Amino acid sequence: MNTDRPTLLSSCALAATAAEAKFRVDYPNSLTRASRIFALDEGAAQAMYTISEAPWNGAHFLTVTTRNDVDPEKTRGEDLPLASPDGIPVNLLDEIDKADVVVLISSSARNSGAAEVIAREAYHRKIMIAGLVLAGKRSQKEVEPVVNTLRPFASVLVVAQDDDFIPAMLTALRA
Amino acid sequence: MLRREVNEFLTQTDNGKPMGEMFRQYWIPALLARELPEDDCPPVRVKLLGERLIAFRDSKGRYGLMDEFCAHRGVSLWFGRNEEDGLRCPYHGWKYDYTGQCIEVPSEPEESGFCEKIKLKGYPLIKIGDVLWTHMGDKENRPPEPSWEFATVPAEQTYTSKRWQESNWLQAMEGGIDSSHVSFLHSGSLNSDPLFKGAGGNKYNQADKKPVFEVVEADGGLFIGARRMAEEGNYYWRVTPWVMPSFTMVPPRGDHPVHGHFWIPIDDENCWAWSFDYHPTRALTDVERQAMMDGYGVHNQYVPGTFRPRQNKDNDYLMDRDAQKRGETYSGVWGIAMQDASLQESMGPIVDRTKENLVSTDNGIIMARHRLRKAAVALLDKGIEPPGRDTEHQKVRSAARVLPPDQPFSEAMKDDLKVRKGQKQTSV
Repeated sequence: MNTDRPTLLSSCALAATAAEAKFRVDYPNSLTRASRIFALDEGAAQAMYTISEAPWNGAHFLTVTTRNDVDPEKTRGEDLPLASPDGIPVNLLDEIDKADVVVLISSSARNSGAAEVIAREAYHRKIMIAGLVLAGKRSQKEVEPVVNTLRPFASVLVVAQDDDFIPAMLTALRA
Repeated sequence: MLRREVNEFLTQTDNGKPMGEMFRQYWIPALLARELPEDDCPPVRVKLLGERLIAFRDSKGRYGLMDEFCAHRGVSLWFGRNEEDGLRCPYHGWKYDYTGQCIEVPSEPEESGFCEKIKLKGYPLIKIGDVLWTHMGDKENRPPEPSWEFATVPAEQTYTSKRWQESNWLQAMEGGIDSSHVSFLHSGSLNSDPLFKGAGGNKYNQADKKPVFEVVEADGGLFIGARRMAEEGNYYWRVTPWVMPSFTMVPPRGDHPVHGHFWIPIDDENCWAWSFDYHPTRALTDVERQAMMDGYGVHNQYVPGTFRPRQNKDNDYLMDRDAQKRGETYSGVWGIAMQDASLQESMGPIVDRTKENLVSTDNGIIMARHRLRKAAVALLDKGIEPPGRDTEHQKVRSAARVLPPDQPFSEAMKDDLKVRKGQKQTSV
């Protein structure tokens, strides 16, 4: 360790004061993100729709509309049944082509096939996937299947007890 | 990103502010016990949660923590005489007991009872482990005494230090939750620091720089699991517990002592970074204890006679670009603690979170902020006690383990993440 180097006041970290913070350059340091939020089941969709009306920075809220299991081997991205909050069908490929972050929300172990289809398309485009499990008051054991559904696809997985984490997370991520 | 008002809500901790009230719900570390080593020793100035206080140990060994200034003319009682069961102001001889009650006003007749009308604001101060703890909230709502494992194992198994950090408490604590920086900022230390090197798990850290995170809510706070690839498709998990409001533990490495932190506001622009090391089942070796005292691991070196780190903003943290170039340190700053502190202080006293650009791997931080805010609002609006007061919430451990890919850490490591008396930490 070098302990002998002289330090001038003008060249040291002393500038990290509240007064000096005023001189930080003030400008928007990021472009708007294109976030795509997918509710994989009905419970997730309900939680998502309560906040989808809020003013977001271009986030798209999408729901997997089929109640049947999706076979990921036989389902192409463009065939995945998806809809926007007003019920209009949307094409996964159109959505994901413009995305730079994908969030998968799940409250049950259903629709792992749909998760895989979305994840596959995101993976090919090198888009980061975050998984959010809405655990409610269920035990860790009970939510284990839901977590296992999302684990293979998500670079980060959050198990939240309350739905109000959805807007907190999306705000933090500038969605 | 946080809106400005939310950033202020979470970072302001003076009396009357919502986060200040939150901190006043808990027993928090106030001093190292060795700062008041004997009865009638010199008093010590302490600033906590924006209040200037004086701590002393009276002739009977009772600890006191009270308003620093004499009620008479506002003299600092740091100049006081600690004698015969009280701290006496040297100006006119007013004397206070360990609760802050005035017990003598020499200029007034003793029979007048005048001194009974004078009381400095005082807080309890209790010794558990190496630490003197205080509760700065309502007496009627005092939580059970702290039961953190590091503070309750035998003295020979534990070591605690503290350092002054010149930044708001929240950005310091967020560093304790953010495991993803370890692969970069501290990468040089895994091979060289005596309190880290040689652990079997280090190879996974070094081979896989892109950990995947799982954040799981717990009753007292969070568990943040970072998983990296291990052999045969298994995962190497390192799990960090966070207990509200500001306790974090670092996942263990091999049989090295386990370390962790408390982050306690001094005021809005400064905090105490408390750092501890302990082993659940054995005494620390002389070599380990000396390494801690020499500033290795999560500890640091000091400006002599102070709790200010030797590497600080006045000397650019003794930045060593040659060591950075040689790969001995990633940032050029020596020591894990000061690698963190130098960067956190560079953000400014209170980082402007309206300008940050968080990414998905920051979800541990996002969730911690969310939980803190919710708890502070619930306390403010409905008087609901926040998580982390319950002693059961405090009986947590960090852990590291290799698991098959289909096992969630929260279930498979449930027991590893709890204090198990007489059993060592789960580590790789």
